[in-house]
Amino acid sequence: MPLIALRDLTKHYPRGVVALDGLTLDLEPGIIGLVGANGAGKSTLIRILLGLLEPTSGEATVMDLDVRTDGTTIRQFVGYMPEYDCLPPDTSATDFVTHMARMSGLPSTAARERTAEVLRHVGLYEERYRAIGGYSTGMKQRVKLAQALVHDPRLLLLDEPTNGLDPAGRDEMLALVRRTGTEFGIAVVVASHLLGEIERVCDFLVAIDAGRLLRAAPLGAFTQRTGVLAVEVEEGEAALTATLIARGLHAVADGRTVLLEVTEDRQYDLVRDAVADLGLPLVRMEQRRQSLEDLFRDDVPPPPSPPVTPVGEGTSA
Amino acid sequence: MTASGPGGNIYDLGYQPYTGPRLGRRSAVRALFSQSIRACYGIGRGGRAKIAPFTLAAIAVLPAILAVGIAAIAARAGPAAGAIGDASPIRYETYHGLVGILIMLFCAAQAPELFGRDQRYGVLPLYFSRVLTRPDYALAKVLGLMVSLFAVAVAPYLILFIGRVFVAPDPATGLAHEIAVVPKFVLQAVLVAGLLGGLASLIAAWTPRRAYATATIIAVFIIPPIIIAIIAAQASQDLARAIVLFSPGDVLDGTNAAIFGSVPDSVVVAQVALPGWAYLAAAGVGIAGSVGLTVRRYLRIAT
Repeated sequence: MPLIALRDLTKHYPRGVVALDGLTLDLEPGIIGLVGANGAGKSTLIRILLGLLEPTSGEATVMDLDVRTDGTTIRQFVGYMPEYDCLPPDTSATDFVTHMARMSGLPSTAARERTAEVLRHVGLYEERYRAIGGYSTGMKQRVKLAQALVHDPRLLLLDEPTNGLDPAGRDEMLALVRRTGTEFGIAVVVASHLLGEIERVCDFLVAIDAGRLLRAAPLGAFTQRTGVLAVEVEEGEAALTATLIARGLHAVADGRTVLLEVTEDRQYDLVRDAVADLGLPLVRMEQRRQSLEDLFRDDVPPPPSPPVTPVGEGTSA
Repeated sequence: MTASGPGGNIYDLGYQPYTGPRLGRRSAVRALFSQSIRACYGIGRGGRAKIAPFTLAAIAVLPAILAVGIAAIAARAGPAAGAIGDASPIRYETYHGLVGILIMLFCAAQAPELFGRDQRYGVLPLYFSRVLTRPDYALAKVLGLMVSLFAVAVAPYLILFIGRVFVAPDPATGLAHEIAVVPKFVLQAVLVAGLLGGLASLIAAWTPRRAYATATIIAVFIIPPIIIAIIAAQASQDLARAIVLFSPGDVLDGTNAAIFGSVPDSVVVAQVALPGWAYLAAAGVGIAGSVGLTVRRYLRIAT
C-alpha cells in the first residue's frame, strides 16, 4: 500500500485555470521533495491531499483513505505547514500550539505536554511564552512547523518551509525537516520551487510543471541525469577543453571553468587524467545542479553553456 | 546528545512519539467552543482584552443590583414595600429596554474578535487541515458567542429574581410568587443572545476587518428602528408593519412585550400592534437564518 496514490488527478479552477492535469503517481514513505516552478500545482496537490480542496476528477488516497470521503480521518494523521503567514500575532507560541493540538483532538494535558516537546524540538525555548508578533521570520517558521507536528502525524505536508528565510535560517529549517523525517520516522512531503534546497533533504523527488508529472524518481537518478561538472583551472582551460572533447566528453569552456556533462563515474577519471596529463593547476571540481528550467526541458540534453559562475566564488580552493 | 553548561546538563531525549488517546472531532469541537467562550471575555489574553467585555457585563447587571438594594431598603418601610417595588422602573419586563443596547455593544466588541482574527491572520487553513470540519468550526464559534451573550443577558434577571425572593417577608412565599417568571426571562435571554449573537456572527464572519465589523453590527441594530419610526410617522403604518419584523432591535422589543405581557418600549412596535407570536417567529427565523448563513460562509470561504 503506497503512502499516497494519485490516479489521473485533475483540478480545474474557475476561469479555465488548470492546476493539476491528470497526475498519476504512487509515493512510498520517506522524505519526498515536490518541485516545480511557482504555479506548477504543488500547493493545489497538497491541499487536495488534506481534503481542503475537492479534485475536479481522478482519485487520490492517503494511507489508503480517499481524500473525498475520509478527509477527517486523514487529517487526524497529517500535519500541514502552509506557505503563507498563519499565526495570530497576539498569542504566545505555547498557547497557540496547545490550542492547535486540542483542535487535532488531543486531551488538554497531552496537548500541553506535546507542545512543550515539539517547541523544544524546533528550537524555541524562553521565547515561546512571548507573543508571536515579536518573533523573527525564522522563529515564526518554527512555530508553523511545531503546530504541524504537535499531534504526532504520520505524514507531514510542508509547503515552502524556507519561505522568507535568510541562508542560515534556510539551513536550519532544512536540517530540522531532515531530522524530523529521519529520526521520527514521519513521512514528509516538502514542496519547494528551489531544487537546490530540496535535494539536500529528500530521498525521493517529484517534479511537476503546469500540473503534469515531469519525473518521479529517487534523488540519485535526478542528479545523475542532470549532473554538470565544473572544473576550474588557473590556466589552460582551452587546452583542457580540447583534450576532453578529444577523449569523447561534451565539454565547454566558460571563463576559467570548463563545464562538462557527466553521466557516468568513469568520466571523472577521464577529467582527472586530462588535468594531470596537461599538468594544469586545478582550483576545484564541483558538481553543478541544473536550474529547474533545464530539468524541466525533459528529453532535451543539457544546453552546452550552463549558467555563468557567480562572481566571487572563483577564489576559494 | 547532551550539552553541558554552568547550570547543569541539558539532555536531548530525542523525539517521543505520542501514544495517548486521540479524541477526534467531538473533542476538538468542544475545545473550540469553550475557547470561544473564554475569548468572548478576553480570558487567556492580556488585561486590555478583558476591559470591554467585563465593563459591559458590569454595567448590564448594575441596575439589577440597584433595584435589589432599593427593594431591601424599602422592605424596612413595612407594608408599603410592595408598592415601592412595583413603582421601581427596574423590573423584569423593563430590563430588556434598559440593557439591550449593552448586549448589542458586547456583540459589536467581541464578535469581530472571535470571527475576524482567524481570517485576518490566515489561521483558517490550520483549523480546516485538522479533524474538525468547516461547519464544526462555524457552529462552535457561533454557539460560544451565544452562550457568552446569554450569560450577560440572564445574569441581571437572576440577580433581580434572587433579590426579590429574599427581600420578601417570607422567602418561601417569595419564591412561590416569583418562580413563574423564570421561564419568561430565560426565554427572552435566549432570544436576545440567539438573535444578536447570530447576526453579529454573520456580519463578523463576512467582515474580517475589525473596525468595519463593529460599525456594521452597531448599524444593523441601531439604524432600522430609526428608519421604521420615520416611515411610521411620515409615510404609512402599513409599510412600517410590513418591515418592522426585519429590524432586530424592534423584534426583541416585541418578544419582550409578548413574553412579559407588557407595553413595548418602542412607540412603533406598540402602534403596529402585530401579534406577539409574530415577533417570536421572526426571532426564531432570524436566529436559524443567521446561523445557517454563517455556516454557509465558512463552507465557501477560500483558504
